[in-house]
Amino acid sequence: MTPLVRIKGVSKFYPRVHHPRERLRAFASLMIGKRSLEGAEVLSDIDLEITRGQSFGIIGENGAGKSTLLKILTGVITPSRGSVEVNARIAALLELGAGFQPEFSGIDNVRMKAALLGISPRQLDQQLDQILAFADIGDYVHEPVKHYSSGMVVRLGFAVVAASDPELLITDEVLAVGDESFQKKCIRWIESFLERGNTLLMVSHSMYIVQKLCRQALWLHEGRARELGDVFPVTQSYLAYHEERSAAEGLQRRSLRGDSGLYRVSEFSLPGDPGEGDRSLAYGQDLEAELVLESPDGQAPVALFGVMRADGTPVYGVASDFDGIEPQRLDDKHFKFRIRFNRLPLLPGSYSIRGHAMDPLGIRLCDTAELRFTVSGESREMGILRLPHTWNSDG
Amino acid sequence: MKLFIDNVFRQLVSRAIRADYLENVTGFAWLILQPLILLAVYAFVFTTIFKARIPDAGSGGFVPYLAVAFWPWTAFSEAVLRSSNTVSANAALIGKVAFPSEMLPLSTVTATFLMNMLGYLAVLLALQLFMGAQIHWLGLIASIPVLVLLYLFASGLGLFVSALQVFIRDVSQILPPLMTFWFFTTPILYSSSILPEQFATLMKFNPMSWFVERLRDFLLLGNYELGYRDLLVPMVTVIIFVAALRFFRRFSAHFEDFL
Repeated sequence: MTPLVRIKGVSKFYPRVHHPRERLRAFASLMIGKRSLEGAEVLSDIDLEITRGQSFGIIGENGAGKSTLLKILTGVITPSRGSVEVNARIAALLELGAGFQPEFSGIDNVRMKAALLGISPRQLDQQLDQILAFADIGDYVHEPVKHYSSGMVVRLGFAVVAASDPELLITDEVLAVGDESFQKKCIRWIESFLERGNTLLMVSHSMYIVQKLCRQALWLHEGRARELGDVFPVTQSYLAYHEERSAAEGLQRRSLRGDSGLYRVSEFSLPGDPGEGDRSLAYGQDLEAELVLESPDGQAPVALFGVMRADGTPVYGVASDFDGIEPQRLDDKHFKFRIRFNRLPLLPGSYSIRGHAMDPLGIRLCDTAELRFTVSGESREMGILRLPHTWNSDG
Repeated sequence: MKLFIDNVFRQLVSRAIRADYLENVTGFAWLILQPLILLAVYAFVFTTIFKARIPDAGSGGFVPYLAVAFWPWTAFSEAVLRSSNTVSANAALIGKVAFPSEMLPLSTVTATFLMNMLGYLAVLLALQLFMGAQIHWLGLIASIPVLVLLYLFASGLGLFVSALQVFIRDVSQILPPLMTFWFFTTPILYSSSILPEQFATLMKFNPMSWFVERLRDFLLLGNYELGYRDLLVPMVTVIIFVAALRFFRRFSAHFEDFL
């Protein structure tokens, strides 16, 4: 089966054209067919193949090149290098209103947009009522678009796109603009669109929407493809990346507070850990942790275990004295604690567990060690952990 | 694909007509009024103050002589000036929707010509009825190909300047004085037969002189004699149009980088 979209080694380079002299120089190098030297490469060497029926989410930070990639796919911009092949009837909704002209009324813009999407005037006449019903903006359609709110522009734009019956729908971060009920309407439409065997390519910052609508994901990072594959692992590592970044920002504050005192952590491990990299466990598996504390004065210290998300959000903490636990004494100075979290309810993602040494009264925090682990698996549940629940379908 | 282009083109033309002419109250009246006022000013200056003598003015004197050339010039110059910034003015469209962007200047030229030709017809009728000019209505048919070629010429220049304007912003500043210069070096207010020899020869290199002179020949004088320039200028016009279209298409891929 030939792919719907195939792009190979696509790069996009923007010459610097702020200053008139730079513009002239860039134009001159175009004239003689050379690449201008100054500028920025916003996409480098992207390969992507999309087959019919796939749904692809493109994620990444601001400025990672997501919108540029979509624009290249829709043919709005020409890549500096590489080839793009598209074998489908595309409808694209890029940014707000995709080419609506503010001076003209909504209905005029619908006609224009319909013409651009290849809807014939006769088809449009038949579908106009349906489009207006979908957009649901009332008499505003006769007002100039410049008087619209951004949500109304998106409503109208999406309504026309929905009517054009595309095979491949390309949307930028547009759903975020509409209100809750319109978002739901769009998501319902996209779901039925996908059920009919069509193909979707979308950019979103909402992992919820990406996981809901997409089966595959591409993570763009600084113009390069960082990860490509099934939606769950890709979005999870993207989220973990963000959590680590915000954790790194918080680290300095924590080290200022410092840990001090007599009682130290001498060993902290997660049994079953192969030793290399992060401990990984499947969603719903047990988590065991082992902590050996050193006590110079021979008194049994208190151990505190804390589980947190990779960005530092606390999830759960428990100390040995809460539960009245006596440690196993290894020698004069060493005490061993072992804890097991049965069927860990944490949702897939990256987490860390900390083992703390506290004084024998459980008042002062003396030392901390931290280990990272990931929970893998596919789940559409949201949040940090799974709350036990039952559904009462029969009231 | 062809249907797609037809639809988009029709939308763009009707949009240009409405935006530029119909949507402001004076728009349509202005279309007739502005050249009429200018025509009246020129007629006053040249017939009353300078007492210009036009040797081959035909029936009706100076005013019809001027008017027959003035309207097509207005259409031409307005079309080129208006189309020059169509690409940069539609940056939002170009950055978001894939479509052949040469339709932007072409639709503006088309809209300008359609509207001005309506005005032209009205003026010719007025000249016949109120100014005592003898319009050769057979010449009207003969001037259709001339006007079509003028449209093609304006389209070619429109494509060229609108593409150039993306890269060199100054184009929109340079163009109006350039068009004024061109206006005065074209035999619109005068006849090239009153020029000294060397200027008359130079004038032959100005394609616009062929357009206005042929329109006068056909409409006012009923002179349908053909010469070598009747072959040369149309050929040059077609070549300019094709070259400008190729220029536009070659650089349209890079518009987005510069807008």
